[in-house]
Amino acid sequence: MTSPSHSSAVFDPAWLDDLADGCRRLPGSHPRFEDLFLERRLEIRVAAGSEVASCRVDGGAARWRFPSRWAIHAATGVSSSAVAELVSRYADRLELPPSPPPAVDLNPPPGWVDWAREIAERTADHNTVIRFLTRRAVVVRRDSWRQVTSPPLVRLESRNIGSTALLAVWGHPRLGDWIRAVFEPPPARGWSPSPGLQTPVIFTEGTAGALLHELVGHLVEGDLIANGRSPLAGLGGANLTEAAIDLTDDPRRTDLPGAFDCDDEGISAKAVTLMRGGRLCGLLCDRETAEVCEVAPGRGRRADWRHPPVPRLSNLVIPAGSASPAAMEADLSHGIVVTRLSGATVDPVSSRTVLRVERGFEIRNGRRRRPLAPLELTGGVTEILAAIDPDVGDDPSPDWRLGWCVKDGLPLPTGSEAPTLMVRRLEVL
Amino acid sequence: MPSHSRPDDLPAKLSRAIEACGGRLSTGEAKRWEVFAKSSLTRETELIDGRLRRTVQIEESGVGVRIWDGARAGFAAISGLDGSAARSAVAAARAGAAPGPDPMPPQRLLGLTAIPPGPRMPPRGWAQHVTGELAIAIASMSNGSLRLGRTVVQEGHYAWQLCTADDWSADHHRTVASMLVEVLISDRPGIWREWIHIADPESFAAEAVAARIGNRALLTRHRIATDQGLHDLILHPEVSSQLLAAISPLFLACPDDRDPLPGLLGPDGLLSAYALTLVDDRSDPMAPVVGPCDGEGLPARRTLLLEEGAPRHRIANFADARRFDETPRGGAVRLSYRDRPSSGPANLRVLTDDGMAAGELLSASDRALYLLRPLATVTADLGNGTYSLIASGVWLDRQRVRGWHPVVELSGSLGTLLRRIDAVGTDLCWFQTAHGFVGASTLLVRQQPVVG
Repeated sequence: MTSPSHSSAVFDPAWLDDLADGCRRLPGSHPRFEDLFLERRLEIRVAAGSEVASCRVDGGAARWRFPSRWAIHAATGVSSSAVAELVSRYADRLELPPSPPPAVDLNPPPGWVDWAREIAERTADHNTVIRFLTRRAVVVRRDSWRQVTSPPLVRLESRNIGSTALLAVWGHPRLGDWIRAVFEPPPARGWSPSPGLQTPVIFTEGTAGALLHELVGHLVEGDLIANGRSPLAGLGGANLTEAAIDLTDDPRRTDLPGAFDCDDEGISAKAVTLMRGGRLCGLLCDRETAEVCEVAPGRGRRADWRHPPVPRLSNLVIPAGSASPAAMEADLSHGIVVTRLSGATVDPVSSRTVLRVERGFEIRNGRRRRPLAPLELTGGVTEILAAIDPDVGDDPSPDWRLGWCVKDGLPLPTGSEAPTLMVRRLEVL
Repeated sequence: MPSHSRPDDLPAKLSRAIEACGGRLSTGEAKRWEVFAKSSLTRETELIDGRLRRTVQIEESGVGVRIWDGARAGFAAISGLDGSAARSAVAAARAGAAPGPDPMPPQRLLGLTAIPPGPRMPPRGWAQHVTGELAIAIASMSNGSLRLGRTVVQEGHYAWQLCTADDWSADHHRTVASMLVEVLISDRPGIWREWIHIADPESFAAEAVAARIGNRALLTRHRIATDQGLHDLILHPEVSSQLLAAISPLFLACPDDRDPLPGLLGPDGLLSAYALTLVDDRSDPMAPVVGPCDGEGLPARRTLLLEEGAPRHRIANFADARRFDETPRGGAVRLSYRDRPSSGPANLRVLTDDGMAAGELLSASDRALYLLRPLATVTADLGNGTYSLIASGVWLDRQRVRGWHPVVELSGSLGTLLRRIDAVGTDLCWFQTAHGFVGASTLLVRQQPVVG
């Protein structure tokens, strides 16, 4: 029995031991009981001029495996009776002792509501919403259970300032700076480069992490690889960039929003190296796609208890290089430096990516000149990767803007930390 | 095997939850309160290459409680319909109450609109059946150039009840269905993905759905061609829906000093050309969000937002309507018990009564760029009056396809774009957007700058 003693347990360990013991007696074939996922979530929303809204949601899902398919039954509630009903779909009803109330309930940190209300009132904008998000979950398998812990998050959305957003771990030492950055007004008159211009682009202040989230992170997720929908499918072992980049997906970075100690299928968090020295070497898989791709699982993540686990990235991390970002800019006769991205997508039909630049500058003769007006950049996935310059900045920075990642309509928190990188050629749309 | 929740069980469960909350609220200090309870049962069936890959059955329920004690307002939502959920929801709403005016509409504004009964939940096996039919229809209409890869069919039934301290109550139940379709295109490595709203599962027509998907997906097989300059544009309904979603905040009530709408109007007071009329239609039984009342009890209605280019009414929940001096018209949206009723359109749609058939629109220009699908969310800077639309499209020369333009950006003056809408199609389709459900049709826009 895996029975970690967590002071922050919101599920009673003794009850979970009983539950795991009961699950051991569930059928092992036709269908085979795979796992039971139980989750408690709390969301607090604060907006200027509105009442504070709190939402507590508990639910669970039992997963069964047939020879050629999976079946999942999910339902509200984590009480003994709700859980017993869930796991009895294909078996005799489990007799479980009543689940005791949680030793620790999910609550916002003391003072959080006042902190959020002060920010909301300062903006005086009824379109600005600040959310506190936290969750605890357990994965119960036939012989063990694992608690899933992830850091509490703060999400801020404002539709007034050109629709911007922030996602960060609550308590991050730079949270105050990032909130100030959200509310910095955009430049009064920005420069718009000519459409069709092919130009070098420097991604700084963590934006390279968001770039590689789209270009590599999503495209090595097991479901896209397994059915050949990724332009990186079949490129394992290939050199994708000239830059000697090491790219890692690391859920153990608890300072970044995509952190967890155990994925939603009960596998301990481990870093996965996706690129080593610019060579593609890793994939991100859940248990199902790991079998197809023949790699280790560990990235089965659920949007919440209602949804099955699917392969999703956590926190993309690129270590520091040796180049000075200032020197990288100084070496550029003409180009663009991006300091904030507001969105990035990859078109599944053409495999072209579109990057929305929210803030940045024109570089001329090595110096920052005019601020940019919002613009879009595009290029093919593999072409952009091939055009990453070998110089890697010595300034790894987290991205706070684009962590709320949506795939197939389902959002999940993710994070990234990356140094300054330069792409030698991107097209301005 | 145990018995599980059936659609027929839901109303009784909801009533018990409402009674449990109401009992607790009646004994407290709340001067006014409102309880919203919702329960849903959803089946999700995923098939890959015709083979059943995964089934997911979700039963979800919960309550949302709003209170006002004369000086402070609170809202809390809790999953579950049992006594402990009711107790917790009431306690949390009280604990989180903060100084503020009564956010709930007065009883005199509450009322119900008769809504025709909806379709029945499809029988088990329906998802596999329609997927099989769709696979055949897609292969047939494309002469084998398209192949159905993956489908995720969602069928669900939900029921909700809303009750206030004044013993006013409303209830509603409905079946909903939708389908995510992924199609493989021969000669191209990528996939074509489309979401289909199914208003009535019994009348699902595989051939029509196959044509809707295939007609666009096949166009991406043409050789690449690019162009720029001033050109007529034809926006497929999916692209139109994104554009309408981007401008939908214009129709929300807001303070005068932050209202971007006046700055976007032309000298004639019009936001768009005569061809465009927009409504938020909450009484259309074929739309995705249907009910007898809005999210806080005002009767469901069709609210005219833009009439032949001229702005008419704004959408607001009761609290925002009062705050921004608008007439309350039932503009609250509450899709889940988790959310308090917020201002927003439920079913923003184009009126197509005076529209043209999509085929006529496609032949209404000698040379046009037909925008097939958005590649990123369409953005509109409403303060500065600009927009940016990134899409893939095909160039049409005298109704013949000249080539596929994989990534094209349109940007510039939002007012100019809207005022050059020459005609709307009759091919209304519903789409999910970042601003809710939008029913859009093909739009013909004259002489817009095309770059890249």
